[in-house]
Amino acid sequence: MSVLDGIFAKAKENPQKVGFPEGTNEKMMQAAYEATTEGYIKAVLVGDAAELKALAAERGYDVDVFEYVDINDEAYKAELIAKYTALPDTKLKEKALNRRMADKLQFAMVMQAVGDTEVTFAGIDYSTGDVILAGMSIIGLNPNVDVISSIGLCEIPNWEGSEGNLLAIGDSAVCQNPNPQELASIAISACETMQSLLGWTPRCAMICYSTDGSGIGELVDKVKAALAIAQERRPDLDIDGEFQLDAAIKPDVAAKKVKRESKVAGQANILIWPDLNVGNTGVKLIQTFGHANAYGPMLQGFNKVVCDCSRGAPVSEIKGNIVISAVRAAGLK
Amino acid sequence: MDRKELEAQVLELVATSYNKDVDDLSVETKFKEDLGGASVLMVGLISEIENELDVTIQLQVAAACETIGDLCDKIEEEM
Repeated sequence: MSVLDGIFAKAKENPQKVGFPEGTNEKMMQAAYEATTEGYIKAVLVGDAAELKALAAERGYDVDVFEYVDINDEAYKAELIAKYTALPDTKLKEKALNRRMADKLQFAMVMQAVGDTEVTFAGIDYSTGDVILAGMSIIGLNPNVDVISSIGLCEIPNWEGSEGNLLAIGDSAVCQNPNPQELASIAISACETMQSLLGWTPRCAMICYSTDGSGIGELVDKVKAALAIAQERRPDLDIDGEFQLDAAIKPDVAAKKVKRESKVAGQANILIWPDLNVGNTGVKLIQTFGHANAYGPMLQGFNKVVCDCSRGAPVSEIKGNIVISAVRAAGLK
Repeated sequence: MDRKELEAQVLELVATSYNKDVDDLSVETKFKEDLGGASVLMVGLISEIENELDVTIQLQVAAACETIGDLCDKIEEEM
């Protein structure tokens, strides 16, 4: 059974309500339809309800599979605004929120913020930047983190690590050059994401060209500073470093290079790159030479699960990402 | 609202969003150098501007402003 099969099976046990503000998009509607009819989620299409229903019928779907929410339903909108503005720590007031809710993406996120859906899934018509910005202002950031980032899950043939052939890596997609606070945030978010998605006990390594002070200079200092912040903020998590890649994931190398107690060295299941140059190159090396399947990137750092997908993604990939986001949301409960 | 009133109000909103003393801020204050420039704080500031001044400023537009005065210019254009 592949990791994705396992995640799909988990989704079926507790299907979550997922809001789709891009239901008019044919690929998105198909992915939402398949994910719902196969029992992984309950899809809520957000937009012009009559248009969405007509499109579903025109495309040959059973229109009753979806729940439709009309963004012009003033009574529901007023109800959402009242609930949202009553939440603690929300910044937008009634008038500003009302204006923003003319946008389907932000309407869907307000529904999620008040608990009417568990996930908002978008990104096929909206850009990643649109999704992140809407998420930051409507859903908000997790109080333990400073930045939105991403994590990917690699399934690597012939690799036998502490989670079999699986390894989580981040950030390979969002944060270009994180400062120590932001790098610490990426590590903390990654631990929470993998706990909620696969139930892992995180063993998170801060990756560097140096292991435990074998190198010196500003590149090492940044990773060390990030490690100290992460350990101070979340002493309950096993986050350790700074480690070279081999010292992080190979027990024999760790035994030689890390001369102290560490639950992470040689046993890491999550790797945190020092910046996006490393992260982007790293994931491509794993895919190219390791022939790995890389799932994600999964956005992390929000108060709730917000999911983005590539604008060029095929239906099968969109469906996979929808199901992953639903399982993450269920895992956070 | 004249320019002076707008500047005074924006300075108050920046002080709230960035957790600073308004007396330490001026239209010359630079977001990146003087305030740290975290994008999450800028998102909060934009929300406050929407709430209090009824003006929608895109994050990309606000993020491109070097100083608080530059942001006031952008708000004025939208008013």
